[in-house]
Formats: sequence, structure tokens, C-alpha cells
Amino acid sequence: MSTSHTTASHAKKGEIFCQDESRVDWHSKALWALREKRDRAAGSLPEWEQLRQLGSELKLHTLTHLGQYLEEFEQNCQANGIQVHWAKDGVEHNQIVHKILAEKQVKKLVKSKSMLTEECHLNPYLESHGIEVIDTDLGERIIQLAKQPPSHIVVPAIHLKKEEVGDLFHDKLGTDAGASDPLYLTRAARAHLREQFLSADAAMTGVNMAIANKGAVVVCTNEGNADMGANLPKLQLHSMGIDKVVPDLDSAAVLLRTLARNATGQPVTTYSSFYRGPQADGEMHVIIVDNGRTKMLQDKILAEALKCIRCGGCLNTCPVYRRSGGYSYNYTIPGPIGIAVGSQHDATNSMPWACTLCGSCTHVCPTKVPLDKIIHHHRRLKAQAGQLPYGKSTYMPLVGNFMASETMLNCSMSVARTALRILPGALLKPFSGAWGKYRELPVAPNSSFEAWFNKNRGQ
Amino acid sequence: MKIALFIPCLVNQMMPHVGIATVELLEKLGHQVILPKGQTCCGQPMTNSGCFDEAKKTTLKLLNAFKGVECDAIVCPAASCLVAAKENFHEFDTSPEAQAVINKLYELTEFLHDVAPISAFNKPFNHKISLQLSCHGIRMLDLATPSEQMGPRTNKVEAVLKAIPNIEIVYPGRHDECCGFGGTFAIDEGAVSAKMGKDKAQAHAETGAKYAVGFDPSCLLHLDGMIRRQQLPIETLHIAQVINAAL
Repeated sequence: MSTSHTTASHAKKGEIFCQDESRVDWHSKALWALREKRDRAAGSLPEWEQLRQLGSELKLHTLTHLGQYLEEFEQNCQANGIQVHWAKDGVEHNQIVHKILAEKQVKKLVKSKSMLTEECHLNPYLESHGIEVIDTDLGERIIQLAKQPPSHIVVPAIHLKKEEVGDLFHDKLGTDAGASDPLYLTRAARAHLREQFLSADAAMTGVNMAIANKGAVVVCTNEGNADMGANLPKLQLHSMGIDKVVPDLDSAAVLLRTLARNATGQPVTTYSSFYRGPQADGEMHVIIVDNGRTKMLQDKILAEALKCIRCGGCLNTCPVYRRSGGYSYNYTIPGPIGIAVGSQHDATNSMPWACTLCGSCTHVCPTKVPLDKIIHHHRRLKAQAGQLPYGKSTYMPLVGNFMASETMLNCSMSVARTALRILPGALLKPFSGAWGKYRELPVAPNSSFEAWFNKNRGQ
Repeated sequence: MKIALFIPCLVNQMMPHVGIATVELLEKLGHQVILPKGQTCCGQPMTNSGCFDEAKKTTLKLLNAFKGVECDAIVCPAASCLVAAKENFHEFDTSPEAQAVINKLYELTEFLHDVAPISAFNKPFNHKISLQLSCHGIRMLDLATPSEQMGPRTNKVEAVLKAIPNIEIVYPGRHDECCGFGGTFAIDEGAVSAKMGKDKAQAHAETGAKYAVGFDPSCLLHLDGMIRRQQLPIETLHIAQVINAAL
């Protein structure tokens, strides 16, 4: 499977993914199973839709008072003995992290899941400065060993089958050849990771929520790897986007009730850890990153994407994501939320069109991010910037004129209907493009509805 | 009631039988049906590609076809086009006259459920049908509660159809997952669109129903192309055809 984020359009990458149909079916089914678990978990709470509304409102409130809450968070962190750093972009984030680690002569960093550090490309940066980075979430470790980026924001190795993980572990961790029993492989990974935790000089985690009035960060994992990391070495770092802050514990409680339910159907993640200060004799650093977020806040429609709590529910429900895979999007974050927050980084400009505007993501979202509206808006922004993909800038003005003229539309459609009726399919197929490649052409009627109406209802 | 028909380009040019069934069923229910002239397209192919400038002329042409037309309701047998018309009319014309047109717009199922319910069907429909709950109809027009949403559930499509004697209504697996048409998506993203369509067509066929029945002609056109390519033992019908057959 291709691991590189080369610049081909989403359609091209999706077409390549679709060549192995049984794999598409397997991928789609695995992710739909998460959606079904989510439905059961959400359905078990009579107040589910109220929680979504509350989640949406509290995130919107925080985003519209962001400066105030971030400063409150910083002050309370400092009062708790936490060192707070501000990074305007990924480069600055990586430099800050490296400086903290270099001062302590850190050779090995254990990291637990953080899409932000993926977004900032932290691992290659630190590795180029001689620091070993070990991802400790099982899925993250698998793809790190396979030298692949995550294909999903919650289940990053979902694209790999257990047999492929078995082969990888045989190669990298020395497990038995051909062994693919999940329990056996997990135990091998556990033993391997335990060594890493014990020999690490520093630990780093992402942040699910930052509590402004407590000066604390919340980290949710199922494997306890964040806690194992943060509690062993004396130096702990937490990176967060500016959008992660919430006012108080009550706000965090609302989001914690929907986060895991919407992600995997669990009532709550196994570990929801609140860190509010360094260990004795230790250091705790929080790095707050902008990296384009304040720019998004300036656009009223795009701003709502910052309500996202990264549950991955929109990926699991997305019929396009499930059938095109996480690597078909030209951004670190795939799926509907990836289109919403990453379209400006896509050199092919195709991401906003990797969507049928079905709206399922918007209805699944635990904070009511209007994803279909945001994706539609991205298309408009692309058009305004003269960056339309798939030849649209050439043919759309023609379609616009064509559709606005009854004469042109009626004449040409009359010819098209006749052609569809009298010409053999084999002759038409080469001219029918992507439609005819995959589907039969429509059976054409003799005349238009309007002609029938005028004839039979005498207008 | 006096009803003005909004017949989208796809129905007018390629699926006139849907329009004909709509006229016939509305007349059987005692309504007077008119067809305002000058309708071409709602502008959706352009606005869904982000091309609002290119959509303006077409959208306003459609809006102008209905402005000042004396009628009680404007009814359309295509949910997606109706949603686009509502949004695009509002986008390009914020006048009270435009709002008056928007206020009269109804999708056919919506009209038959909310405005002028059918008191009784005269004939049975002796077949099993698999309902195609298309995305824009359920998620933007509230024709049925989408599966993602929790709490009380409604389904106007089933509510209208289940009153037909002998009809048996079933649903495909992943019953409200998108069929993959998506307008230009079907062309731009041919492979992924086709896989979605194939999965949907198979899910309908697996119910053992004789017909896959829906309210959105564009989705039905896509499904029909997939069904015939896959040679599946099922056919598509628009709800207007089913209702017309039972009146």
C-alpha cells in the first residue's frame, strides 16, 4: 500500500484504492462497525441530542471568547507550576519542543497519540536532531514501525489487516513468523513498549481538553500509555491547539460523555487523565499552537470546524472515506473533518469534492460541526480563488449558460435522447466518460415532459 | 388546490414518466395542475461545484418562472433539486417576491404528508418495495429522521406509502447511506461513486423487493444504471409512480 502523500487528486487515489474491491469491502465494514457501535452507545442516552447541542454551544462560546479563556488557562497553569509556551505555527512548535528536550539532553521521547504533532510533523524534526521518538499508542506504534502516516484520527492503523501487523512485528519485534493472533501480537507490543517507557527521558502527549479555570489538561486513552509515559520520566510535555480550551470541568464533562461514545461506542475511554502540575522534582510544559486556527476563526463558516473534538465519528460514517481510504486525502487528517480543516493545504484542490454532500457527518458530529456546509463553502472559496479541480473552471461557465437557455437545453437534449435510443451502446460508451465506464446509460424517453404536458394538458 | 409544478431538468428531459405520474396523481386527488413556463435548472450542478456566478442566471430564470404565478403550492417530485432551489433562490434574491415563492415550495412527499394528505387509496399495490431514503430529502427536508439522529423518529415517506393496500415496505442494509450519485461527483469521482452505487443497488436487491422506490429521480437514475450494469433482479420506481398506480 502506498505510504506517501504524493500530490494526486482524491479521485485518482480513490480509484487506485477501489481496484482491490474485497479490501474496500473489508475497510468499509470495519469502519461501519464503529458507526453501529456509536449508534448503540448514543441511543442508550435519552439526552444524546441535548448533549450534542450543549457541546456545540459550549465550544462556540469558548471560541468566541478564546483570548479570554486561553489567558485564564495560562495563568492557572503557571499557578500550578506548569510552563506554558505559545507557538504560532508547526515550525515554532517543533523548535520549542526541541529546545525543551535539548536542555535536558533527552535522547528518547515516548509519545502518546497526538494528531497535532502529526500536523506539525514533529517526529521527523526531532529525529533529524538526533532524538528518538517512540509512539506508544498501539495503532500509532504499528504505523510508525511500518513507516506510514495515520489513515484515521482515532484508529490510525485501521487500514492494516492483522496478518500484515503479524508480518511487520515478525520483522521488527521478532514475533513468530506467520503469527497473527491479536492477543499474542498485543502482548509482544506491550513487552516492547514497556522497555521504551522505562528507558525514556521525556514523555509527550496530545490534549483532548484544556480546563481554563483549573489550569489542567485532559488526555483520553484506552491503553494507559499516556499515563505510563507522563508518570515515568520527570519531564512531561503536552501539545494542544488553541481550540482545545474549555471553560471548566462541567464543560469537559459534557464533551467526555460524547467523545468516546461517538468514537468507538464506549461509554468513556478507559483512561481520562487530568494533569494539573509536574511530578515532584519534575517539569511540565504545555505548548499552545495556532498553526492557522485564528485564520480559520476569521471565516464565520470555517470557524465552526474548530468545535471539533476529534472523535473520528465523521470518518466512520462517511461513505466516501470508507471506500477511498485515509491516504486518498492530501492532508494528515482525512475524511470530512480533514476536508474542513485541511482543504487549503491540498495542492490538487480536489479535497472539497471528495464528498457527495450527503450530510451524514454533520448529523453524527457530537458538537454539531456543520461539515457539509463547510465543505460546500470550501468549494466556493476554491472557485473564487480560481482553483477548481477536474476541469470545472472550463466547463462550468458553459454549463451555466447552457442551463439558462431553454432553446439550447431542449435542442441538445432532444438530440441526446435520440442518440441514446437509436445508437448501439458500444458506440456510445467511449463518449459517456466515467458514467458509462461504471454504469449503464439511461434509457431515453421519446420526448420531454414539457412536450407531453403541452400535448395532453393543452397549454 | 391549484398546484404549479416545478419539474427539474433531469425529470423534464430524461424521466418524463415521473412528471406524468405526478400530474396524474395530483389530478386524481382533485387538484388543478399547471406548468409555469421557462423552467430549466435549479442551479445545483453549478453551486455544488462552488460556481455561484455561473449559477445565477439559471437560478433566477427558474425563480422568475414562478414569481407572480397564481397558485396555492409549488410542488416538485425531486427532493435534492427542491432543496437547491430553496437555497439558491434565497442566495440570489432576497426580495419579498422571492420569499413568497420559497414559502410555497414543497417536495411531493412533503406535500402529500403535510399539506394535502391522501384520504384513501382505491387500488392495491401487490408488491414488496425497498425504500431509497435519499440524503437531501431526509437530512435537509426532514422527510425521515436520519439514522445518525437519536430520539423520536418520523418517516413521512413510509407514512404516505403504507396506507396503500397490500404494499410491503422494506429497507436495504445501511438504509440511509448515500447512493454515491452526488451530481458531478458521479463523474469527478467515478470509481468511488460507482462503488457506492453498486453497494446500494446490491443492498436493495438483497431485500428481495421487486422495486427500489425513492423520491429523488437523480438517485434513481444512478441506481438504475448500476442495477442494469450489475444485472440485479430489481427495478427502480419513483414514489409518484407507486402512488399513481394505487389511485
